[in-house]
Amino acid sequence: MKTRREVLQGLIVSIGGASMLAACDNAARVAVSNSQSLRFFSDQELALVSRISDLLLPRTDTPGALDVNVPGFIDGLMAEWANTRSQESQHRQLTELGHMLGADFVTAADAESTLRELDRAAFSGGTGYGGYRALKGLITQSYFATEEGALLEQHWVAVPGRWDPCVDI
Amino acid sequence: MADFDAIVVGSGMSGGWSAKELCERGLKVLVLERGNEIVPERDYVDQMPPWEQSNLDRISEDEVAAHYYKQFPGVSYAVKESNKHFWVKDDEHPYETAAGTEYDWLRGYHTAGRSIMWSRQTYRMGPQDFEANKKEGIAVDWPIRNEDIDPWYDHVEKFAGIAGNRDGLPQLPDGQFQPGFELTCAEKEFKSRVEAAFPGRKVIQARVAHITAVTAEQRELGRSNCQSRNRCHFGCTFKAYFSSLNATLPAAERTGNYTIVHNAIVQSLQYDEVSRQISGVQVIDAETRETRFYSCRVLFLNASAMASALILLQSKSTAFPNGLANSSDQVGRNLMDHVSGAGASGLISGFENKTIFGRRPGGIYIPRYANITEHDKPYMRGFGYQGSATPLGNVGGQIAGIGREFKQAHGAAGPWRVSISAFGEQLPNPNNTVTLHPSKRDQWGNPLAVFNVGYGENERIMQVEAGKDSVAMLKAAGCTEISSRTVTLTKPGNRIHEMGSARMGRDPATSVLNGWCQAHDVPNLFVTDGAFMTSSACQNPSLSYMAFTARAAHYAADLLAENAI
Repeated sequence: MKTRREVLQGLIVSIGGASMLAACDNAARVAVSNSQSLRFFSDQELALVSRISDLLLPRTDTPGALDVNVPGFIDGLMAEWANTRSQESQHRQLTELGHMLGADFVTAADAESTLRELDRAAFSGGTGYGGYRALKGLITQSYFATEEGALLEQHWVAVPGRWDPCVDI
Repeated sequence: MADFDAIVVGSGMSGGWSAKELCERGLKVLVLERGNEIVPERDYVDQMPPWEQSNLDRISEDEVAAHYYKQFPGVSYAVKESNKHFWVKDDEHPYETAAGTEYDWLRGYHTAGRSIMWSRQTYRMGPQDFEANKKEGIAVDWPIRNEDIDPWYDHVEKFAGIAGNRDGLPQLPDGQFQPGFELTCAEKEFKSRVEAAFPGRKVIQARVAHITAVTAEQRELGRSNCQSRNRCHFGCTFKAYFSSLNATLPAAERTGNYTIVHNAIVQSLQYDEVSRQISGVQVIDAETRETRFYSCRVLFLNASAMASALILLQSKSTAFPNGLANSSDQVGRNLMDHVSGAGASGLISGFENKTIFGRRPGGIYIPRYANITEHDKPYMRGFGYQGSATPLGNVGGQIAGIGREFKQAHGAAGPWRVSISAFGEQLPNPNNTVTLHPSKRDQWGNPLAVFNVGYGENERIMQVEAGKDSVAMLKAAGCTEISSRTVTLTKPGNRIHEMGSARMGRDPATSVLNGWCQAHDVPNLFVTDGAFMTSSACQNPSLSYMAFTARAAHYAADLLAENAI
C-alpha cells in the first residue's frame, strides 16, 4: 500500500479516470495518471477536496478516503451525474469553502484543527455551511459506496439473512 | 367461440390475482400487458453491491430532466440508475393537469407493473371503513361490509405471505400472518411511552408482504424467506416479497391455462349491443403499431385505477356514448389517494450501546386512532403513521465530527432517531376527475389523460393535526432535537394509492360497480384494481385490491359456469 502522503501527492497532481473507477476495477482505484484526466475539479479544487476527505475519513486500521480515491469518485460523479447548474454551484461552494478554511489550508500543519472548528460550527446550528455539509455528505456517501468502505468500515453484508433488532455493541 | 374465456387487462398487483384465480378455476386466460417483459434473471438488479453502482446509483440530472421529470421527484427514494427500467419515461407517457392543479402519476409499464416497486406495507380495512360513508352521509355507501371480504383477506394473505404481529385491534384486523419483524429496542421503548401517554394509541410492527416462514406452496413457486437486505425496489431474487412476477403470475402459468401478451396497449373494449356484453378487446402493439382483436367471455380490468377509467372512457358506443359502463357518469370521478406531509423526527436516548443487524423491510406503524378511540377531532376519518427508530449512524455524513471517530460512527455507540410520517384518508369528491383530452393523443393514438384533482378542507386540517400529534408523541416519548415538518401536503397521486375512479355502490344511478366489482351496466365486465374503492380508508390499499380481486374472480367463474354471463 502506498503511504498516505504518496497517495495524496498522486491525487493532487493527477487522478485516475473516474469512469475507470466506476468500472470497479480495484487496481484502478489508486491509479495515477496525468492531470488531464480530471473531468470536473481544477487542480486546486482537487487538492482541497482531497485534504478534507483525508481529514474526515483518514486511514486507520481500514483504508481512508484517499486510499479508495474518493476525490476521483466525486470528480467523476460531478462530471457524469451533475447538470451544468449543479456543477457551477459545486465550483462556487468549493471556492467559498476554500476562503473559509484559509489560503494555506491544504498544506497547513494545523489543517485538522481548522476543519474541526468549521465542522463544529456547521453542526451546531451555524448558517452558511450548506456547501460544507453537502460536501461532507458526498465524501461520506462516496466512501461507503466503495468496496472497502462498505465492507471494512460500514460492515455492509450483502445477505444478512436475518433481522436482529437489538444487538450489543 | 371466444379466443379466451377471460381477458385480464394489466399484470400488476390486481391483474396477477385475476389471472391466478381465473386460471385455477380452469378458465383459459389472456393477460394483456401494455409494457415490455421483465425477466427476473435478466432484469432484477437486487444483487448489485454498492460499489458496482455508478454515481451513487443516481440518474444524471440531465436524464432526469429529459425522461423522469415526474417519476424521479415523485419517488426519488426508489427511482435509481440501476432500476430506472422499472419506471416509465415521462416524455414517452405524457399526461396533463387542469390549470392550477398538480398530479403525480407514477408508473411502471412492464410485467407485474408497480407490484415490483411497491413498498409492501399491507393492512386490512376495518369495519369502520365500510360503514363510514353511510354513517356520515359522504358519497355513497359501500355495497359490502367487512364480513364479506374477511375470508378473502385470509385467502390472499396465506398465498402472498404477510409478516406481522397479531395486535388485536378492531380497526386494523389481524390476518393470516407469518412471523413479523420484531421492533428495535428503541421502538419498544417508544411504544411503551407513547401508549402510556396516549391510552387510545398503539405502536405496532409494520405489516409487510414478505415471507418469513415459507410455506410449501410458496416454496413450489420458487419463493423463499426474506433475507433482510432492503433491496426490494430492485426486484428480489429470493422472491421473498409479494409481486405478480414473484407469486401470482407463476401460479397462473403452472395451470397451463395462462397466456400473456406484452406491448399490448388497449384501445377500446368492444361492446356488443345484442348480448349487451363485452365481446373483446382492441389493442395496438406498442412496438409494431399493429392492431389486433381478442375475444373473450369475461373481462377483468386491472390496468390501474387511472388507466382502467381511461379505457372505459375511450370505449364509446351507441349504447354508451360517454364511455363503457358509464351510465352513472361516475367513471373517472372520485379520484382518491392518501395524503401525507405531516410527521416528525427526533433523537431517543438510552440505546447508545446498542445497534441493529440486517435491513428489515418495514418499521413501526401507528394505526388510526382519530375518530376511533379519540373523538375530539376537528376533522373526519383519520390517518396512520409509518416510521422507525434506528441508530443514527453515519452513512449520510450528516453528523458532527471528523477523523477516526467520525469514520467509525457507523455501528458505534451513538444516538438513535425516531421518525414518523402520516398517511391520511382522502374523502371522495366527484369533482376530482381524470378525463380524456379532447384533442391531444399519445404516440399510439390514445387520448392523453387530464387530471383535475385537489384536496379538501378535511385533508388539510387533518394533516395539520397529524403534524401536532406527531410532535406530541415524540415529546411524550422523551425525544430531543425534535424536528417537525412544515406541513406541505403531498401532491395528489404521490402516495401511489390510486383509487375510486369506478366506484362500487348499491345504486346503478350513482355507482359503476356492484358489490362484486361487476359493472352495473355490463355484466361480463369486472374492475378490480383500485378503481372500485368507494372510500379510501387510510391503510395502504394493495391487500384490499388483492382480496377484492380474488373474490370477484371466483364470482365471475361461478357465473360463467352457470352460463349467467
